[in-house]
Amino acid sequence: MDGGKVTVGRTAGLYIGAAVLRLAIFTLLPGLPDLLTGRVEISTPVTSFKRLQEGLFLYNHNVSPYDGGVYHQAPLFLPLFSLLPNALSYPIFTYLLYIAVDLLSASALWKIADSGEAGSSAQFTSPRREKRWSGFVIAAAFLLNPFTLATCIGRSTSVFTTCAILHAIAKAVSGAPFGAMVALSFASYLSMYPLLLLPPLLLLCYDRQRPDRADKSALSFAATHVPVVFGVLALLFGMSYLITGSWEFLPSTYGVQLTLSDLTPNVGLWWYFFIEMFDSFRSFFLAVFWLHLSCYVGGLTVRIRRQPLVVLTLLLGIFAIFKPYPSISDTSLFLGLVPLYRHVFPLMRYTFVIAAVILYASFLGPAFYYLWIYAGSGNANFFYAITLVWGLGQSLLVCDLMFAVLRDEWEVERPEMVGKEIRQI
Amino acid sequence: MSAQQPLSDDSATLTITNSSNVSTKKQPPPEKPSDVRRRSNVILSFWLIVLLLGLPIWWKTTTIYRADLPLEEMLEWADGKACRPVFPLRISIQASALQDQEAQNLLRLTQHALDDLNDFAGHHLRLQLSSPLGSEKRSTTDNGSALTIRLTPGEGTTSTLDPLEPILDITYSPNTIPSPTSSSSSLATYIASQLRSTFAEEQATISYLLSTNSMPSEHRPLSLSPETAESLAKRTTRSLKYAPTYHLTFSLFTSGPLPSSWDIESAIDEYMKPVLDVLSPIHNFTIDTQVQLYASPGVQSQVLNKEDLTSFINAAEWPLSPSIGGAPTINFIVFVGNQTIASADSSSQSWLIPQWGTVYLLSLPSDTIHVPANTLKQPLLTFTSHLLSLTGTPESGSLPLRLSTLARIRSADLLLRASSTLGSLARLAMALPSISIPSSVAAGVSETMSHLRLACDTLGGPQGLEHARIAEAEAERAFFEKSMVGQLYFPDEHKIAVYLPLLGPVAVPLVMGLINEIKAWRKRKREKAEKGAEKKKE
Repeated sequence: MDGGKVTVGRTAGLYIGAAVLRLAIFTLLPGLPDLLTGRVEISTPVTSFKRLQEGLFLYNHNVSPYDGGVYHQAPLFLPLFSLLPNALSYPIFTYLLYIAVDLLSASALWKIADSGEAGSSAQFTSPRREKRWSGFVIAAAFLLNPFTLATCIGRSTSVFTTCAILHAIAKAVSGAPFGAMVALSFASYLSMYPLLLLPPLLLLCYDRQRPDRADKSALSFAATHVPVVFGVLALLFGMSYLITGSWEFLPSTYGVQLTLSDLTPNVGLWWYFFIEMFDSFRSFFLAVFWLHLSCYVGGLTVRIRRQPLVVLTLLLGIFAIFKPYPSISDTSLFLGLVPLYRHVFPLMRYTFVIAAVILYASFLGPAFYYLWIYAGSGNANFFYAITLVWGLGQSLLVCDLMFAVLRDEWEVERPEMVGKEIRQI
Repeated sequence: MSAQQPLSDDSATLTITNSSNVSTKKQPPPEKPSDVRRRSNVILSFWLIVLLLGLPIWWKTTTIYRADLPLEEMLEWADGKACRPVFPLRISIQASALQDQEAQNLLRLTQHALDDLNDFAGHHLRLQLSSPLGSEKRSTTDNGSALTIRLTPGEGTTSTLDPLEPILDITYSPNTIPSPTSSSSSLATYIASQLRSTFAEEQATISYLLSTNSMPSEHRPLSLSPETAESLAKRTTRSLKYAPTYHLTFSLFTSGPLPSSWDIESAIDEYMKPVLDVLSPIHNFTIDTQVQLYASPGVQSQVLNKEDLTSFINAAEWPLSPSIGGAPTINFIVFVGNQTIASADSSSQSWLIPQWGTVYLLSLPSDTIHVPANTLKQPLLTFTSHLLSLTGTPESGSLPLRLSTLARIRSADLLLRASSTLGSLARLAMALPSISIPSSVAAGVSETMSHLRLACDTLGGPQGLEHARIAEAEAERAFFEKSMVGQLYFPDEHKIAVYLPLLGPVAVPLVMGLINEIKAWRKRKREKAEKGAEKKKE
């Protein structure tokens, strides 16, 4: 409500507060960053800071960073992090970088919230849009979310992807399609899966074009902007090639995500399935899982055409559940976007169940992992069961949010039904 | 995974259940055409992914690659139709004291006598006359003859095997030389029977090998007597599988703190090395030694019964390396303690463990610190003779003869084994049509067959053994191909269990959505047609 009236003081207060909180955790609990870096819930093989250190060491000693099969992240991280002083002797610089990235993400989220896109898009205006949280609240909810905090302290490199995705959306809602495409290319370059966000993001850009230079035809709009993504991606690949001197990084970064060759446990659903998988069916089921992940893009984009930001949010939720190496960082991104839909919260049916399930899984997950790995009194099924519960909680949230948004749309068409119970047929 | 809601039949079609109990149920209002089109598009987008991406990927990733195998030929090898194992043994006769004519005549008669005696076509003895001028060395090595008979005139008719050379010395009294016209001769018969008894064991072993394999009956030798077969079976089970290299481990285990060192190196050099050297054309040996103090045997009793011998080895505590890697290990253990073996012959101190090695109980004065080489003489001589039987060397005859026989037996054994592995592979490939056959298996099979062919052609010679060895190794490698072994027990019904749990729940909403959509489309079409008809009527 008071989105426009936020004073500079409050903004600065939030950012400074969040930064100080993070710095305090970094400095007052010096053991915590390394502890969190080793947690499977935070660090996956494709985002782990420890593995980044390994790749960095190899890179600085003129060995291919992908030798040894430990480092699976994008090559452009290496020059960035080798600019910083050594993370072991002067960790403060690394901390500052991660804090800055978090603040950048929050400011992008703030912009998205202030645009009001969640409540009223180009083709649809929710009757409930007045009831919403300001950018300040949403940015605060993101910055103070324990999942975001843990990801930042654990120095997972997925924060860079999060930041790029949020900036892509922020650019799109502020009518800068070119910037959105470039930001999305960066996100895709870092983690590959954000490329699937391209169709809804294109629609969002198309809907939010500045009226003075609007492109009327959606097709010609797509034809001018899709090449931007691939052009920027090609440029990034070219730079990576120059840095590492070979195309080896392609199979080591994207190939690992596609083939799931590193079966380190994580909070997702893939690793257990592929440990148990018959070898001869492995490639088939890899394809099935990837198709499953990508098949939602088309359906959701068509179905909720009128609110592309909803599609983006739901897809991010689905990716946080079903991508090959998910972590709580993906959940924190999804949870950061969900408060934008404050206006449909009253339409959601299972908020209590969802909150309970997510809390339950967040507390029992580490406990079960401990039982399995350290105490030895549990087995892999313990941890996998709790990741299933975690996935269930998130998918409930995705489904419930989708239900609420659709109901909101439907009530515009059928005003006489407002407040009545409905049944899906 | 089924936590995922089917998104295709989404809540576009929401209808009402009146919360207040109204008796007349309200019909939902008709859908807008735009909603209908949108729903079709949603369903279409899912089906496009399934059909355009899913199906080709399914086809590509689950088709089974089956390399072409020459199944017919492989079965022929297994049935013994492709190769008839024939061991042509050439035996040269040195008769420097005889006239050429006389020698030829004797040779002819002896060959006749041999052919009369021989009942096994696979094992030929071919006599030939060596040039009288040739030295002994040349006659044995260059002609590739298995045995040389040296005829020397003497007092009576006697025969002795030379212990160091493959030479059979036969003396004859000059009057036993057959006349050119006679059709039989006692000397010829004598030589033939001597030859036959010399090669009797080899012949029995080879016919035993052939009879235990699936050789067709026409190639099979006359049946062996049950006793011979039993003793041969015992010997075969005792000996290790052929390997080009064996690893010998000599271990000194002591029950107490002493002795703590031994002169094993010089003892091996002195007592065992000569035999290892003569075995070297057939096997290589690598050797290591170890000393272990305070080693407690698996059996503590003072006097060891026959039953105790099997559990004497303390496998849990004694650091005896298993056969890891390329070479199988043969263990030779000297155990210093005061235990004895209970047997009628009280002097026995050692026993052989089939396919594993030998244990020798050595009792020494309790204050012995160092075991000198000469104390190790008896153990090492025992080990040497046990080594020969562990490698499957025949028991009778002179050492050089035994070794050449060993090479022939081994090549026959390997040949048969490789052939039967080929047969198993062929039967496996035919029995399981769903098993994948990688191209490496096909390559291994063709390699095996080419080496088998070469081995079959050079059977009895030194290359024969080499080719048979390669063929056997290739056949084993092809049969135990990793990707095939995993699929051995994978019947087609299991595919349901693989596909259904995940794809079933995914397919239900997809298929139901499609069916509903088609139904609705047909209904709309019909209504349109009816409307059109009504209009026409009007």
